[in-house]
Amino acid sequence: MTSWSCFVVAVVATLSPPSSARAGESLHARIDGLIAAGYPDYPKQAAPVADDDEFLRRIYLDLNGTIPTADEARAFFADPSPTKRMAVVDQLLDSPGYARRMAQFLDVTLMERRNDSKVPRAAWEEYLRGSVGRNVAYDAFVRELLSADGADPKTRPAAKFFLDRDLEPNLATRDLSRVFLGRNLQCAQCHDHPSVADYKQADYYGILAFLNRSFLFPNAAAPNAVIAEKADGDVNFVSVFDKAKKQAATGPRIPGGNPLDEPTLAKGKEYKTAPAKDVKPVPAYSRRKRLAAAITSADNPAFARTAVNRLWAMMLGRGLVHPVDWDHPGNPPSHPALLDLLAAEFVGHGYDVKWLLRAIALSQTYQRRSEAPAGLTEIPPDRYLVAILKPLPAESLAFAICQATGQTALERTALGAKATEPAVDARLAATVAQFRAKFGGRPGEPDDGTVTTLDQTLFLKNGNLVRGLTLPRIGNLADRLAKLPDSQAADELFLSVLTRRPTDDERKDVVAAVTGGANRPAAFGELVWALVASAEFRFNH
Amino acid sequence: MPLCDYSCGSADHRLSRRAFLGAAGASAVLGRDVFAGPATGELSRAQKRVLVIFLAGGVSQLETWDPKPGTETGGPFAAIPTSVPGTHICELLPLTAKRMHRLALVRSLNSTSDDHGIGEKIMLTGRKPEAGIEYPHIGAVAAKLLGTADQVMPGHIAIFPRGSGSGKQDATFLGAKYASVPVADGRPPADLLRPAGLSEETDRQREELRRKLTDKFAKSRRSAATEAYAESFTQAERVFRRADVFDIAKESLKTAERYGRHDFGRHLLLARRLLESGVSYVKVSHSNYDTHHENFDFHIEQLGEFDRPFAALLDDLSDRGMLDSTLVVVMSEMGRTPKINDRYGRDHWSKAWSVALGGCGIHGGAVVGKTNATGTAVVDREVSAGHLFHTYLQAVGLNSTKNFYPNDRPVPIADPKAEPIAEILV
Repeated sequence: MTSWSCFVVAVVATLSPPSSARAGESLHARIDGLIAAGYPDYPKQAAPVADDDEFLRRIYLDLNGTIPTADEARAFFADPSPTKRMAVVDQLLDSPGYARRMAQFLDVTLMERRNDSKVPRAAWEEYLRGSVGRNVAYDAFVRELLSADGADPKTRPAAKFFLDRDLEPNLATRDLSRVFLGRNLQCAQCHDHPSVADYKQADYYGILAFLNRSFLFPNAAAPNAVIAEKADGDVNFVSVFDKAKKQAATGPRIPGGNPLDEPTLAKGKEYKTAPAKDVKPVPAYSRRKRLAAAITSADNPAFARTAVNRLWAMMLGRGLVHPVDWDHPGNPPSHPALLDLLAAEFVGHGYDVKWLLRAIALSQTYQRRSEAPAGLTEIPPDRYLVAILKPLPAESLAFAICQATGQTALERTALGAKATEPAVDARLAATVAQFRAKFGGRPGEPDDGTVTTLDQTLFLKNGNLVRGLTLPRIGNLADRLAKLPDSQAADELFLSVLTRRPTDDERKDVVAAVTGGANRPAAFGELVWALVASAEFRFNH
Repeated sequence: MPLCDYSCGSADHRLSRRAFLGAAGASAVLGRDVFAGPATGELSRAQKRVLVIFLAGGVSQLETWDPKPGTETGGPFAAIPTSVPGTHICELLPLTAKRMHRLALVRSLNSTSDDHGIGEKIMLTGRKPEAGIEYPHIGAVAAKLLGTADQVMPGHIAIFPRGSGSGKQDATFLGAKYASVPVADGRPPADLLRPAGLSEETDRQREELRRKLTDKFAKSRRSAATEAYAESFTQAERVFRRADVFDIAKESLKTAERYGRHDFGRHLLLARRLLESGVSYVKVSHSNYDTHHENFDFHIEQLGEFDRPFAALLDDLSDRGMLDSTLVVVMSEMGRTPKINDRYGRDHWSKAWSVALGGCGIHGGAVVGKTNATGTAVVDREVSAGHLFHTYLQAVGLNSTKNFYPNDRPVPIADPKAEPIAEILV
């Protein structure tokens, strides 16, 4: 047993209440039990479960990457069924919007806004949507990503993870460890990590050894490059701190695991296709082909642990291990037993992402209000007392604005009988791309939507795109509102944009803003803008 | 080879060596256009400002402020006399050399990290990174402490070359109000102007409602992110009112020529305009000095771009009476190894390198600290980035030993383990 699991067991013993051990209990109830056990007097201290309006907006954004229409909101509010939240969760998980939203999440997680150099965006998104749509098991999906060599056009998009990193071994090693193992081993490239005892230089090079024989053929600059591999090449490294410059060597090895058993090939038998000029070599034994199985192996607990932590962070706005790529004993999970439970259940349910998200969505922990209860001043963010605000990802912001302003409905109408969800999305693609360019993070860095830059705000405030969406055009929201009586228009405005009804004061503000002006539709256009530009819209709350 | 955030490639180098040599020759005979319209009326004499020129990638101290000609580490360039008797700098900075009496040199900096990202953080925060707290950058500190209540322009502006950006959290606990406004490629922010057809009055009304909704929402959900979002609209409004400041076409052709038509020249000229308009802190990044290969060729090109506009800037600030109230710092995230590698490059080096600073509160012509004959070690008056951080603040009249109080907890403004470098302070 490693020191790591000792640590986890110790914390479980102190924090988990007896009830959480009941295996018959649903996962969402067990989540709530473990979260409650993580804070003194949690049930009294925590914010109450959110009202229908806040819940509905949140679940739409998290599972479908957009907001509900006013009609959907009205129908949900009016539904008296006690199980309506479960019903809407299931409905959203089965909708095409779920595939789009998870494709976006996986894209940013895997590619971190890198430029599309070898696998075009459209093919990549289609591949991801297809995988999510079929609810391919997460381990199988990752095996596909890490096995594809890009040679077969049918599976080429899956090779994007390596191809669009030019299969640069250091970059690929760093990102494999961050994305799939929850460990940022970058500092371990040159020496054992100075402040994290568990991040060893040997771990870094163990991962790198899966890849160091692979390269892009014919070369990294070719847009149609594929992954090729040599039969030789060993990994040696020296710590920059070691004055003696002692060299160490490693074969392929996943951190925490044993080195792979590797075949010894007789001289002359190393290749199926020997290297020659303009010939793609094929080794008899491929180190790289063993990577997928090694990373996703049940012997590598970091894989499931990292996956559930990242999915949890997507839903809750913060990982149990935070930051999500900083998993080590010095930075323990906020709720170790919960992380273990989620990982075990995820594996037990065949790495079923949809199943896991459903359980999280049904928990009270997920459904809490985002408003701090009166009297609660210091809110430790890792105790989940209050729902954490999440800035809308670039794509969700785009889709939500299109939905709110009526643009999505206009596109649907224009498509008529051909109005499938992918067809509507395709018509919005250019708009989404502009939002992605403004609000997506810097290439190669994790998205951090918490920093607002002036150029983003100017884009929302003065840019042509948002201006065009908010101003009245036949059939859009501002146009429709102008045709309604004032008070009804206020309701429709707030439901369409903020998924809630206005307060009395807000209703008065709306009436005042559109009374007496010469151009009623234009006045509504500015109101739509004011709601779209408010913090209430910008954040998923 | 270690992965670096910066490319070591030459794609960014827009000025060819030939063009540089021609331009540098021409600049010597160009006069200074002292009659260019100064707009300093609005600047109170008491208001202090800071300009940091950040030579990104790690500039070589040996090819700039601490040359070692004729030694094994010295490289091919000569040291030239400057306007300060006894002080020599590298011949790649001929125009700067003539203005050396305006600058102090610190030749004994040990900044302790050879990593681009960490080095940058250390130099800009004056501290080694610590777990559990992110310290604000000097720009945010200057914006907070030097800003005035009635200030129109943002306090903290960062000008970047095209293709790079900031988007980094540089204000941390001081709050988004003091975070850098990035100005990519020196261009005014896109969509700065009010859209056609939107009257000032209508804009005011829609802003009022937006603010009301945001305030109501954030009242019980306040976070750094909501504050940053709310603040960004206020900032947009402020910057909009001074859109003309970003337009360097308002400068005479002669002035533009003095700064040079290349990106860095334009960026430095814009920096001067921003400082004149009351911005407390401007950072201009010049890329890229990460010369693992061909260090000498690259420094000819890069410093050729640097020298002329830098000299023009010092002249302008001095002519406009602004140098007394503007601290100018030329820094980098680290220096470069004295040892020349087998690709004629120099690698990352933080143990013994130099920073130049001048203007407000700085004793021009002073030289502090010394490295050994080959530049491989500090032999006198070693200082850290913390010492420099104290010095910047003291130079502009601030007490660097005070605290900030985020969440009512005292956090020293500058590293308490360091103190100001008194020898270079007036």
